[in-house]
Order: sequence, then structure tokens, then C-alpha cells
Amino acid sequence: MATESSEITTTGYIEHHLTNLICGKTEKGWTCDPYLADQMGFWSFHVDSLGWSVFLGLVFIGLFRMGIPKLSTEAPSGIQNFVEMCVEFVNENVQSIFTSAKNPIIGPMALTVLVWVFLMNLMDLVPVDYLPTLAGNIAAFTGLVEEPGDAYFKVVPTTDPNITLGMALAVFVLIIFYSIKMKGLKGFVAELTLHPFGKYLIPVNFVLEFVNLIAKPISLGLRLFGNLYAGEMIFILIALMLVFNSIAIGLLGVGLHIIWALFHILILALQAFIFMVLTIVYLAMAHETEDH
Amino acid sequence: MNINATLLGQTLAFVLFVAICWRYVWPPIIAIMEEREKRISDGLEAAKKANDSLEEAKLNYEAELDKAKSESADIVEKANQRASQIISEAKTKAEAEAEKIIASANKNLEAEINKTKEALRKDVSEIIVSTTEKILGDEISQEKHEKIISEAAQKI
Repeated sequence: MATESSEITTTGYIEHHLTNLICGKTEKGWTCDPYLADQMGFWSFHVDSLGWSVFLGLVFIGLFRMGIPKLSTEAPSGIQNFVEMCVEFVNENVQSIFTSAKNPIIGPMALTVLVWVFLMNLMDLVPVDYLPTLAGNIAAFTGLVEEPGDAYFKVVPTTDPNITLGMALAVFVLIIFYSIKMKGLKGFVAELTLHPFGKYLIPVNFVLEFVNLIAKPISLGLRLFGNLYAGEMIFILIALMLVFNSIAIGLLGVGLHIIWALFHILILALQAFIFMVLTIVYLAMAHETEDH
Repeated sequence: MNINATLLGQTLAFVLFVAICWRYVWPPIIAIMEEREKRISDGLEAAKKANDSLEEAKLNYEAELDKAKSESADIVEKANQRASQIISEAKTKAEAEAEKIIASANKNLEAEINKTKEALRKDVSEIIVSTTEKILGDEISQEKHEKIISEAAQKI
């Protein structure tokens, strides 16, 4: 789309790629007009991020359910091999971190986090213009917008802080839930206030420990978001090279895109893995009952 | 890049997917993997047992073989001894028999010779008597000169 319409500027192109398809309530009622996003307030949704996120979650469930009907104890093959490999990998990680306490929900949660986040990250490898252009053309064809370029569509869910912080929030809630469940409300409060300086400096202790507690979900969510946002940004900048009407720069752009995509595969998998491990570690810390 | 209700939507989706995974995806896979693990360890154990019993059977077999070998050697030795004994016995028996046969044959021969001698004597004396009669006429009668004839026959 960018190569055809010369009136689109570099800034416009980047902004277009970084704007979500947002739906929310304004004074006039529910609307998906991105130009009214300022009026929507908190109760608005990024339909694209959320849609892709749920779709990829269903892909994960479908993929892993598909392995099950044919599950055999004899010799697994194909998708079952892959499924079992993932499960074993996750299970090993969980068991090495969760040594004392046992919690049957940690394994499935870690598996969900790993595969789901990886799939969401994987959307980053789809060339940045494909899906937005397709979505824009469909929207224009069905009359939702006047021009394809008017439709905003952001594909990679993990480049949306709402998505990463949303998952971090769920982890945070679980941390607090299991802290209170394992240590009791008293133990949880004591943990927040009596360390590291003893009972005479409770306010100082509380500030330190509270920051420590709050930092967990925020760093968890922002780390994933930051890595993926930066990666996406570089893909957009490389794609910008194709806007110029020069074959040489275009070819350079294609080469750079391939190199960055290859390198980015590492980051995608690594970030999904880090998110999973940190989720397990934080929950293992919440399960620890002894004083440190 | 604003924070909005998408965050809560994602939290809800997260909880739902974790619940689905926990309820429907994780348990069957883990169960099947554990079952396979158990099967493999059982199989390995059975293989180890079979190996042990094979070893034992080998030892048994070797011991049996050794025993059978020494037994057969004994038997062969005994048989050889017996055979040589039988042969020597048969030899002595045969020799004795042969001697016996030779002795009896000699005896018979002697008797035959004597008999023949006797017969010859008789014949010769008769010839002499008859010849003498013919020469001397009937003067010499068999009865009268019986004594002389038999004496003469004795001397031949």
C-alpha cells in the first residue's frame, strides 16, 4: 500500500503500523473509528490484538488437542511427538524450579504461556504489510472504511502492552493468591513488612518489598512488550526501504529483512521461554513458606 | 499505546486458556507419557531379568556339558578296558581250545596208526601163514600154530 500511494509519508507509514484497530464507547455510542480513540477512555478494546491473541490461543489448544485422540504409548509420531516434546520440556522446567511445593496448575499454565506467547511472537515474522493490507482491502471491500489505508490493523499481539501486561496481571493475581494461600494473610503481610530491616523499620520495609512485589508483573509484561515492539519497529523500518523507488535499496531491504527475521526467531523463542520461566519462578517464590 | 480494557480482556483469555489446558490438554498427555515411561522401565527390567537367567542357564549348561564329557570319557575308558579284557580272555580260551583239539587229534592219529599197524601185522601174518601153507602143504594148521603166528605177528 505504501509503495502505491505517494502521499503517505514515512511518519505516516510508521504510525499506521503502530496504531491498533480500536473499538470503544464514545458519546455517540460504540464505534471503531480510530480517530475517536481519544474519546473512548478505558472501556475500549484493541480488537486486532485481542482477536489474534484469542485466535492463536485456539490454535494452541487445537494443536495440542489434535495430538491427543491418536495418543499411543507405543511409538508416538508426527504432531504427538512435537506435543510430547513441548510438554516434557515444560514439565522439566517446572519440576526443576518447583522443588518443594507441588501445584498441579503450574505445569499447564507454563505450557500455555510458552506456546501461546511463542505463537503470538511468531506473528512478527509475517512481513509487516501483508496482513494489514489484506485487512484494509477486506474492510474497504465490505464498506467498513472508504479506503484500504484507513483501516488500522496491528497483527502481533505481544507488541501491544495491553496484551503482555494483561497476562502479567493474571500472573500477579496468582502470585498474591498463592502467597496468601500458602503463608496465610498474616504471613503475606509479614513478608511485606518485616523484611529486610526487622520490625522497627516497617514503613521502609514495606516500601522496599512493595516495589519488589509490583516490579514482578510490570517487568514481566514490559520485557516481552519491549523486545517485541523493538523487533516490530525494526521490521517496519526495513519495510520502509521498499517505499523508495530504487531497486538497489529495495533489494538491500529484502536482504536485511531476511537477516533480521532469522535473528528474530531467536528472540521470539527466547522471550516466550523467559516469560514462562519467570512465571514459574515468581509462583515458586509465592509458594515458599520458610523465612529467608 | 494506551492502556485500556484490552488488558482485562487478555487477562480473561489467559485465565480461560490456562483453565482449558489444565482441564483438557495437560492430563492426557502427561498420563500417556507416564504410562510409556513405566512401560519402558518395565521392559528394561524384564530384559535385565532375562539376561540374568540366560547367564545362569549358560553356566548350568556348561557345567552339565563338562559333567557329560567326563562321564563319557569314563565310559569309553571302561569300555576299552572291558574290550581288552574280553579279547585276552578269548585269546586264552582259544589257545586252550586249540591245544585241546591238537592233543585229541594227536591221540586219534596215534590210535589210528596203532590200529593200522595191528591190521597190517594181522594181514602180514596171514599172508605169511598162507604163503607158508602153500609152500609146506597143509601141515601147518591155523589152530596148531596159533601161538607161533601170533608171536611172529608180534615181532613184525
